[in-house]
Formats: sequence, C-alpha cells, structure tokens
Amino acid sequence: MAVLCALLALAVGALTLGTPYVPLAALPHEFVVTELRLPRLVLALVAGACLGAAGLVLQEALRNPLAVPEMLGVSSGAALGVAAPLVLALSVPLAVQPLLALAGAALGGALTLLAAGLGRSPSAVLLTGAAVTAALQSALLVLMVLADQLDLQLIYRYLLGSLSARTWHDVTGLWPWLAVALPALALCAPVLSVLRLGDDDARALGVRVGRARLAALAIAIVLIAPVVAVCGPVAWVGFLAPQLARRLRPGADAVRWLPWSAAWGAVIVACADLPARLALAPVETPVGAWTALLGVPAGVALLRARGRGHPPPGGGRRTRSAAVTAPRDADPGERRTTALPETDGGTR
Amino acid sequence: MKRLLILALAVVAVGCADLVAGRALGPSDVWRVLSGGGDPLARHIVLELRLPRTLVALGAGACLGLAGTVLQAALRNPLAGPEVTGVTPGAVLGAVAATGLGLAGWESPAAVVAAAMIGGFAGAGLLWLLAGREADDPVGTAVYGVLVSAVLSGLTAMVLLVAPGELGSVVQWLVGSTEGRVWDHWTLLWPWALLWALAAWTLAAPLTLLRCGDEQAAALGLRTGPARVAALVCAVALTAGAVAAVGALGFVGLLVPHLAFALFGAGLRVALPGAALLGAGVVCGADAAAQWLSRLLADMTDTDRLSVPTGALTTGVGAVLLLLVARRSREEGT
Repeated sequence: MAVLCALLALAVGALTLGTPYVPLAALPHEFVVTELRLPRLVLALVAGACLGAAGLVLQEALRNPLAVPEMLGVSSGAALGVAAPLVLALSVPLAVQPLLALAGAALGGALTLLAAGLGRSPSAVLLTGAAVTAALQSALLVLMVLADQLDLQLIYRYLLGSLSARTWHDVTGLWPWLAVALPALALCAPVLSVLRLGDDDARALGVRVGRARLAALAIAIVLIAPVVAVCGPVAWVGFLAPQLARRLRPGADAVRWLPWSAAWGAVIVACADLPARLALAPVETPVGAWTALLGVPAGVALLRARGRGHPPPGGGRRTRSAAVTAPRDADPGERRTTALPETDGGTR
Repeated sequence: MKRLLILALAVVAVGCADLVAGRALGPSDVWRVLSGGGDPLARHIVLELRLPRTLVALGAGACLGLAGTVLQAALRNPLAGPEVTGVTPGAVLGAVAATGLGLAGWESPAAVVAAAMIGGFAGAGLLWLLAGREADDPVGTAVYGVLVSAVLSGLTAMVLLVAPGELGSVVQWLVGSTEGRVWDHWTLLWPWALLWALAAWTLAAPLTLLRCGDEQAAALGLRTGPARVAALVCAVALTAGAVAAVGALGFVGLLVPHLAFALFGAGLRVALPGAALLGAGVVCGADAAAQWLSRLLADMTDTDRLSVPTGALTTGVGAVLLLLVARRSREEGT
C-alpha cells in the first residue's frame, strides 16, 4: 500500500514538475509529457525494477548482502561493452547494444566468480569483485582519455547512469529482454530460498548448488545488461532495494522479497530521477550520482542495524575475547585473514 | 643492506629505461644530451620533459609505496592500502573539488596538495567512523573501505558534472598519469616526499611493534593510540603528495608493501626504504612500459592520439596481483 501511494505521488511529481510546469488537468495533451516525461518515468520504473530484482537474485544466490552488480564487475563490464564502440567510433546498430552490454556484463561477472571461486566467502567475492571492477574502470578511463571532449561529456554522463533524453524508442527496446527474464525469474525464485540455507543443506535437498548459482548470475545479467545499455549503470539500486525489501518484510523468504525488491527499485530510481532533473536545473545531473550518494550511506546504515543480530558482511563484530574463546558463527567457508606469516603475532 | 643496494641500482636502471622510452628520441640521442651534446630540440625534450617526468614518477611511486607500508603496518591489515581505505579517493575528491570550485588551479599545485590532504583525511576519517569498532578484522575493514571509496567517487563525479570544464584533463588524472609533468611538479613533490618519508622512517620502530599486535606493543611500553595516529597522518600526507603529483595510480600502495615484506622481512627499518625503492621502481617501470605500449599501439593503428596512461597499467597488473594476494592470505587462514 505504501509503495503504491509512493509510486502515485512520484508519478504525479515526475509528470507535472519541470520546465514547463504542467498542471494535472492538462497532462494528457502536452507533448512534453507524453513524448518525454512519460517514457522517462516508465523507463525509470522498469530500470529500477530490473536492478532491484537483479540485486536480490545476486545477494540471495551468493548469500552476501554486498553482492551487488557494481561490486561484482557486472555493471562495469556492461558499461565497457557499451562505451567501447562509442569511443572507437564504430557505428553499432541500436539493437546490438544490449548484446554488447550483455557480453561485457557476463565477462565482468565471470571474471570475478572465476577468480574468487563460487562457494567462497562473501567478503572474498567482494574483494575480488572490487579488483575486477577497478581493472574494468581503468579500461573505461583509458577509453575516455582517447575520446574527444564532446564525447567525453556524453560518456561520462552515461557512465554514471542517466535518463536524460530517453524516448519511447528506448523503452520498447527493453520489452523482449524482460519477456525472457521474467519467466526465468519466476522459475528461479524457489531455488533461491533453498540456497539461503547454505550449500550443504541445499545439496541435501537436491539442489545442484554450482549450477543454481550460475543460473542466478545469468538471470541477473540478463536483467542488468539491457538496463545498462539504455541508461547506464545506475549505481547501488541493486544494493538498496533488496535491503529495504528485507527490512520491511523480515519474516518473508526470497520468493516474497522478489516483487518487493523490484517495486522498491522502481521507487528508488523514479525518486532519484526527480532531483536529477530538478536540483540543478537547467543542468541535468545523472540519476546514478544521486542513487550512489543516497544509496551507500543508507545501505551501510541498514547493514549495521542488521549486524546487531547477525554477522555483518565480511566477517564479524568480534571482540578480542570472543575471538579467542568462542567459535565463529559465520559460515564455515570463511576463514580469518591473517597477517603475513613473518609477523603473525601469535594469534594462531 | 645488500638487497637494498641491488634494488637501488635496479631503480636507477628503470629510471634510465623511462628516459629512453618515448617516440621522438632514441637511446643514443638521449645519451648524447646527457653527456652535454645534442641539438636544442633534443636537449629540451630530455631535460625539460623526460627528466622531470621520470623524477616525478620515481618520487610519487616512493610516496605510494611508503604510504601503503605504513598503513598496513599501523592497521595490521594486509589488505589496507591507500586505494581501499578511502585515502586516495578522498584525496582525488579534495583536489577535484578545489579545482572545480575555483579555489585552486592546476597552476597553483600547492593548493592542490593542501586540498588533497584534507580530502585524504576526510576519506580516512569516514572509514574509521564506519569500521572503527571492527578495526582488527582486515577483510571487513576492506569491505567498508570499498564502500567508502564508492561514495567518494560518486561525489567526485558530481563535482565533475557541475564543473565540466576541466573534465578532459581530470580524466587523465583520475586514472593516474605522468604525462606533461615538468620541473614545477618535481620541485613541489620532493621536499614534501622527503619530509614525510623521514617522518615515516622515524616511526619504523613503533610501527614494527604495532604490526605485532596491540597487546604486545603496549606490554613493551608503546602508547599505541598516538603511535597509530602519527602513522596514519604520515600515510595520508604521503598519499596526498603522490595524488597531487600524478593522480590516482591504482594498487601501487596496496601491493608494494607485500613485495617489500617478502623481500626485506618484517623489520620496518629496512622494509620502509625498501618499499620506497620498490614503489619508485614499479611506477617508473609502469611509466616506461606505458610509453612503449603507446608506441606499439600507435604504430599499429596509425593514430597519434593514443597514449596509455600509467595508471591503467598499474591498475590492470595490480588487480591480477591483488587476486593472488587475497587468495594466498585466505589459504594461510587459521
């Protein structure tokens, strides 16, 4: 209910505000609304929903609250796939762009998971992802160094995620991808709730863990890539939306969280698009910058609040005495990283 | 000591390689200039462009190597480095914000260093606020560090979009590059680097103790709190100097310490100079390699616009090494 109200308010705001201001009554007749603001709103909602759902799939499949597209190299890879032809002045037909993004995203994600290993501890995956992301980002920056000043503006804006100047054309390009991803999501959701239990229990219940993870990753990539191709990697939505969904429905499981996560993702992106359009008018700021600025602190706060009862990401809130006496309550795959051997101060 | 000497010689060799890497002049021309001959153009290229560039690369590399070693020792965290503790992104944000707001220009490098300094402290402080209570969990701290870096990069992006005039030159700098560094940069860098390097070296003994753990250090009569704060100040200052000079070179500060500890053992009195030399060699070598690569690519594609930034190379190679380090430190887990 709250989500519905929020969406309604958002829609009204998104369609009426801006230059020129359009009163509610005149909405259906204004060109600016039907041809610019409405597709933009729809795109924001769809993109947000995709990112939110993909974020939840990744987090559940890897059992890691920080497994988000931008941390696994998926977003950077997709952006690289889209930006490379732009800079190198290769003309690419629009229909191929999502495919390029898909290839890039798959490359980034695969690199991370290969390097980290599938069943590794969450923090290891995250660090590996950070390294892969950094490498891909530097490749992107190299491309930007090559670009002309004019292209540079465009590319930079795109890399942060921006919905400016998107039309119905861009929105219709998303539907076929969604038609593939949604049934797959529906099939995959029950398996996700089993994966949550931990690898051994999931195996005991007859789930092929490795394959299930790969399938989840593939679905997440199919959800993310087309969005990235159209409006760039909008940062941190895939992190925040699932967190919100979990916080507000603590008793539910993955199947129930999935639609909520998508809904929250849509709300977040549509929400962030308002300041992106209006804050520094007439200059548009990229929506991704807003989601990053708001998303990360909010997400960290949520994580810390949750961490009171559970082990937080990447290890734990262990006091020294507990570290010595009590066994860890994290998953068994996780080990403590020690200092280098020469100087390990007798903690073993 | 012998190892240090060998390493110093190697660094000199790398410096020479960096001097002869480039498109316009071959090694023989460079030698002629250095021995006092050569035509004016060649002299200008070598003495006014290549020499300061090489020196800046060496100085910045030394700074980063030192900063990373000090950080890793002070935080007892093999995954601490200026890049993943928010120091580098903070410094970048500070410098970009100062130039974007018109408080400092690229023509007033001192102001840029000051801004980078403030930003670096802000980044480190942010991380400390987030992960303060879990400071003895290396991986958790690294995770928070990645998050902090993400926030700071987002802010940097915002600043760049509000003030896009500088975008072209800043992009080079975001990835880390030694292009077009002149004597001005060097004169600003070396006193700063020397000052803080000496400060770091005087901290070698307390840092060695800190690396053994707080209880042990306290038992030996070291006041751990002040020692750690001093070390952090040192690390941030060194990073800020390097960032102001060459931009955000990726992964140098994170990985050089590992090499240094492997080569020189845990005694920081030797490992610190070793790390400085290693950092200098690595950055300078990356610079030379980047120039060779640019030449190769330019020959292949017939464009003169292409130049590979040094930072792209260090980040690319560094990412691979980081994966290995992360793996190794996991397998050694208790």
